[in-house]
Amino acid sequence: MQPPYFEYHNPVKILCGENALDRLPSELRQLAASRPMLLTDAVLQKLGLSNTLLDIMDAEGCPPACTFTDIPVDSSLSVVNRIAALYREKNCDSLLALGGGSVIDTAKGVHLVLSGNTDDILSLSGMENIPRGRHIPFIVVPTTAGTGSECTGVAVIRNEEQAVKMEFLSPFVAPDAAVLDPRMTLRLPPRATAATGMDALCHAIEACSCLQKNPLSDAHATASMRLVAQHLLPAVENGADATHRLCMALAATLAGIAFSNSMVGAVHAIGHALGGVCHLPHADVMAVLLPHVMRFNLPRAEHHYAELLPFLVGWEKAADTPKDERARAAIRCVENLTARLHELCGLPVRLRDMLVREGDFPRVAQTAINDGALIVNPASVSAAQVEQILHQAY
Amino acid sequence: MRRTLQKIYLSAVLRLVHAAICELQSLDKAAEGELLGLPVGLRYAICTGHGAPALFVEWDGAGLRRLREEPAQKCCRVRIKTMADAFILFTGRMSLAHLYARHGLVVAGEIADVMRLARLVNLAECYLFPAFITRRILPELPRLQASPLRLYARVFFGFLTNRY
Ligand SMILES: [Zn+2]
Repeated sequence: MQPPYFEYHNPVKILCGENALDRLPSELRQLAASRPMLLTDAVLQKLGLSNTLLDIMDAEGCPPACTFTDIPVDSSLSVVNRIAALYREKNCDSLLALGGGSVIDTAKGVHLVLSGNTDDILSLSGMENIPRGRHIPFIVVPTTAGTGSECTGVAVIRNEEQAVKMEFLSPFVAPDAAVLDPRMTLRLPPRATAATGMDALCHAIEACSCLQKNPLSDAHATASMRLVAQHLLPAVENGADATHRLCMALAATLAGIAFSNSMVGAVHAIGHALGGVCHLPHADVMAVLLPHVMRFNLPRAEHHYAELLPFLVGWEKAADTPKDERARAAIRCVENLTARLHELCGLPVRLRDMLVREGDFPRVAQTAINDGALIVNPASVSAAQVEQILHQAY
Repeated sequence: MRRTLQKIYLSAVLRLVHAAICELQSLDKAAEGELLGLPVGLRYAICTGHGAPALFVEWDGAGLRRLREEPAQKCCRVRIKTMADAFILFTGRMSLAHLYARHGLVVAGEIADVMRLARLVNLAECYLFPAFITRRILPELPRLQASPLRLYARVFFGFLTNRY
């Protein structure tokens, strides 16, 4: 059913396919940029991925004016402010982010600070309140297939002081272009491939079931789900296959566009809280929580989940499933996928596998109910109910 | 004329919601818990559209004090984009969550503070509006810990004695 009112926004040009990365210098030129600052992390440098990009940029005569590789896995507001100061000091004119969710979200934070002409990203917190600032050319190259951050209007950054993950929501936080090149994910280990793929699936499922869902976000989310259903297991089993890698990269981007226009829900609210309080990796937590939250939401979201079944198991199997069984079948499909990934590469299926203490749950619950993602969850969730979900997932 | 009437209604209902939340502090444990969980000194500005009524309050650790003017700083500002949306929201025809889902709000400040406010407004609405209205807009209704009539009586006594 069409909502009475919705908005859709996706300003990101997507360069997707074989050797897409080779076109990045030309894209930079089109954006009138000549002194890019490259943001990446030490692991990618070690893996040689940043060298692949640097070689291309050197060959095209546009090497970065400055490279920052000191981005931690769990980036923070102070890292963002520090990078923005360095950008100004080195007189850069554009941003280039090569990495996973943390690098991209950090870069989006830096982009916000620079375009908003401020020194402190905290001054920009809010929702739809940041006017379009100065244009800073900004290109993103994801090296995982999961966050979809390359196409979303949100930056999630850790506030160390409050031990929470903060969301900065603005349509102007998204980059100008995203480059999806299978070379960038070929060496992603099976365990990380599985976890990030489940994060993408979680984005797609939450996008399809939350209060802000709309026909355009549904179109992207269901396309993403179909790709995940077909390519996640093969990508984990055979990581060197460029087709599976590219399909997963595209699935993540599609899910990113979807949830950027419809939001996520309780899985992410609780996941952000677990990340903020217990420092658990986002994608792992998503994989563990997704089926539990789907069961919790079932009474309110049954018709939405039922509609997802064909995209998860194919039309024939879905048609063979009785109508009132389809929502539960969709949840079982997610559980089976997680279980299979657990067998293949050790993806955690319970919170206890992740060294989290049950004693932290009350604090996690209190943090989760103040997360913006909870407001559009199909069912209302109290702190006590968050604790209940956490115990079920433990 | 319609806009003027809507302005009068919104002005009254904002005062009513504020007074209800203040009274719920001693009538409802959930409301009390929410209020006591607010950071001391937190200010809210709730604006219902351009040139339309607004409510400015500050949590001083003991009560939600009404401010005469819009706070200049350290404030969570929630602006409803159009007065028509504000009217729909405060006549119990749409929840804050649905308005958020329709991109009806602009927020300056921390999202966490908006979530705290949303829970308080939802709770106040459950007392102020009959259940057949709130059941339509909220996925779940909280168990009311006092009679709505008692709340109304206390709110009107508060208005009579110039407390609000
Ligand atoms: Zn996610």
